[in-house]
Amino acid sequence: MKIILKRLFSRRKEEYWWMTIAVPLVSILFALITGVIFIKITGRNPIRAYELLFGSSGLFPGPYWKNHFAEMLLSSSMFISTGLAFAIAAKAGLFSIGAEGQFIVGGIVAAYFGYAKPFAGLPAILHLIIVFIMAMTAGGIWGAIAGWLKAKKGIHEVITTIMLNWIALYLIEDWLVTGPMKANVATGVSGTPYISATAKLPKILPGTRLNISFIIIAAAVFFTWYFLYRTTIGFEIRAMGHTLVFGMEAPKASGVNIDRRIIQTMFISGAAASLGGSFIILGILFQYPPVFEGGYGFDGIAVALIGQNEPIGILLAGILIGALRTGATAVQLAHIPKTFPSIIEGLIVAFIALQELVRYLIIKLVVPKRSESG
Amino acid sequence: MKALEVKNIIKRFPGVLANDNINLSINKSEIYSIVGENGAGKSTLMKIIYGLYTPTSGEIYVFGKKVKINSSNDAIKLKIGMVHQEFMLIPRFSVTENIVLGHEPRKGMFFDRKVAVKEIKEISDRYGLKVDPLEKVENLPVGIQQRVEILKILRRGAEILIFDEPTAVLTPEEAEDLFKTLSFLRDSGKTIIFISHKLKEVMTISDRIAVLRRGELQGVVYKEKTNEKELARMMVGRDVVLEIPEALVKRGDTITSVRNLTVKNKRGIVGLKDVSFDVHSGEILGIAGVEGNGQSELIDALIGFIKPIGGSIFLSGKKVKLINPRNMRKRGMAYIPEDRKRRGLILPFKIKDNVIMGQHNKRPFSRNGILNDMAIESFAEKKVEEFDIRPRDIYTKAANLSGGTQQKVLLARELSINHNFILASQPTRGLDIGAMEFVYKMLIEEKKRGVAVLLVSLELSEIMGLADRILVLYEGVIIGETKPGETSEEELGLMMLGLKKKERVM
Repeated sequence: MKIILKRLFSRRKEEYWWMTIAVPLVSILFALITGVIFIKITGRNPIRAYELLFGSSGLFPGPYWKNHFAEMLLSSSMFISTGLAFAIAAKAGLFSIGAEGQFIVGGIVAAYFGYAKPFAGLPAILHLIIVFIMAMTAGGIWGAIAGWLKAKKGIHEVITTIMLNWIALYLIEDWLVTGPMKANVATGVSGTPYISATAKLPKILPGTRLNISFIIIAAAVFFTWYFLYRTTIGFEIRAMGHTLVFGMEAPKASGVNIDRRIIQTMFISGAAASLGGSFIILGILFQYPPVFEGGYGFDGIAVALIGQNEPIGILLAGILIGALRTGATAVQLAHIPKTFPSIIEGLIVAFIALQELVRYLIIKLVVPKRSESG
Repeated sequence: MKALEVKNIIKRFPGVLANDNINLSINKSEIYSIVGENGAGKSTLMKIIYGLYTPTSGEIYVFGKKVKINSSNDAIKLKIGMVHQEFMLIPRFSVTENIVLGHEPRKGMFFDRKVAVKEIKEISDRYGLKVDPLEKVENLPVGIQQRVEILKILRRGAEILIFDEPTAVLTPEEAEDLFKTLSFLRDSGKTIIFISHKLKEVMTISDRIAVLRRGELQGVVYKEKTNEKELARMMVGRDVVLEIPEALVKRGDTITSVRNLTVKNKRGIVGLKDVSFDVHSGEILGIAGVEGNGQSELIDALIGFIKPIGGSIFLSGKKVKLINPRNMRKRGMAYIPEDRKRRGLILPFKIKDNVIMGQHNKRPFSRNGILNDMAIESFAEKKVEEFDIRPRDIYTKAANLSGGTQQKVLLARELSINHNFILASQPTRGLDIGAMEFVYKMLIEEKKRGVAVLLVSLELSEIMGLADRILVLYEGVIIGETKPGETSEEELGLMMLGLKKKERVM
């Protein structure tokens, strides 16, 4: 135990190591303050708004806390999944904005294996495992396509992931959902058929919608950390990300198979995003609807930025965004549109993007005091 | 008259005393050199004078007046200008545009190009710094780009000019030109502060020389009253053997062979033509040549970054079929790149991570793809001792180490990889003499162990001192083979310029 503690803390010797934590926290604070100004300008009561927002966000105890808490974790799992997807790619120096496409690819595959006949009769655990494996493989392949194009053809991943997002969207909405996977019209269901009961995610908090998705994503967060920091492939991936400006020459010269690692990274990134897609189908919607309210992929970029691309940070940032979304409906009681939390989210990202400024302010505030005393 | 005085300057970083009570007094119109090893505190001191750092304590006087310099703008106002190692130029802008940027002559609200061009012509004539005001900077050689930088600070009225290792990026001819410029500037009344760790240069141009070691001022000497040896001793703190000891080793079997190697570089030009040679066990084969005569193509092919368009490479006696870094490494190649920041180290990684890069997937550092921290750390601790890497802290990021220490980390890594062949490409580039000595010692030790070494270097003295045989590359072809005992630097120089050939017996 002593060794573990020593290892955890003795490493943090670099100057300003706490910046990684301070920058997001201060950015959140700035965003909330700016939010106050916005509300003030429109003539509403900011204190009341924040009371309502955080009171029903699930972060703090209060009336109906159980339900809010459940909803918060439920939506967090999706944000964390796409946040991880972005961060895994980012660690290798890849700027993947393909989580959106990988998310819905995961969703449609989860829906298919959720209702399709030979699988629908299996025992619940087996069925779920198959559904997840299939969804993650499909999402992974969707990511790996962009990885392959980058590694072998040198096409930039931003271009390919955006294009793959649209390809996925049109394939699913204009063909699969209205064609081969359409539910029987006679049942009155639009979209795909509903998944069988064995594919539904088991609930863990009675009286709420909370299911095992949060446990799965928490495990995924741990796995991602372990993968990035404890495995040799993770070591190589981080080395690649750190040397991006130098064309990854240093790891390459050391014998790292860059091309293969890029494809692998994109596969894992895609698999992470497809987890979220499976969650929403298997735990909330139970079918793939004709029109899908997306956006999780892009929120994932925000989550990864706030979480500084670190798994544990993404877990916390995902919960924060989940909380803001959960509290969104309640702010309407203060006569503020329910999109207000998205403004806060945007502001946080904006301040994080101004990292250097935030950093500078923190140093100005904190450091002179230290050097005077020391 | 004193141009610049610093008194009792102390700069403390967490855990490091970068400048310890430094006192300097620099006269008007003199060339004042500041020398010291990498990490001795030269750059820190200059950054303080240029307003990029604020000193922990101490005073600065410019032309007799006490000043506070809080930013580079302050410094410019006080007529202090700095030519940085990396130029602050916009490649796609013309020379004129680069020089006037930020202080443009205007006509009404518009940029007055004509006046600007005329102005640049004037200053460039006045100081004898010839440039074409309309040429784009990206089309200029490095030496001329540096000239543009100098003109830029002169135009802003600089009286005190700081040059931070200005020759690091220059060819010898360009350096000559620079020295002429510096003398001219001095004679026209400017004060020049010249930062370097190349003693030869310092001895050529300075009037006075200040020596720093580990943040402390060791002394200030007049050029006439000192010599390279004394300076070296002051810099390192002990006598430095600049001469490379001779090591007689019996040459063994052929380890590495290159046959008819022809390589096209990234620009699509055939940079290396039909090159063949062998490197034997216990031998250092030197490749001499003026930069750009096929060295980088040879290295890129040997490490596997570029697939040759013809010829073959044999490592450990076997032909390498698929040429990529992975396979080259597998066959026992260690690689010391000329640009350790780019090709060698992962700068944000800690020392412990850098020393295992490349063998991280072997036991005991990992098992079944899972890293073993205990083994990595104890290995790193051992290497830090063995190679005298300072600080002894294996959690320090490579980026925070001085150049010489970074090279030590790199050597620690490469030499611990199972190897019988070392590809060393300018292994002492940018290093101070202390670190150079260390690199030479390591290479000689490796040679004694029976390792084959291919040394590609632009430094003739290095090749003459270390190599057992010398091949000279000229325009991508081996123009001759010789031995240090049978030739002179002059003869090698002629061969490097393609003016003399020597038949090879193969």
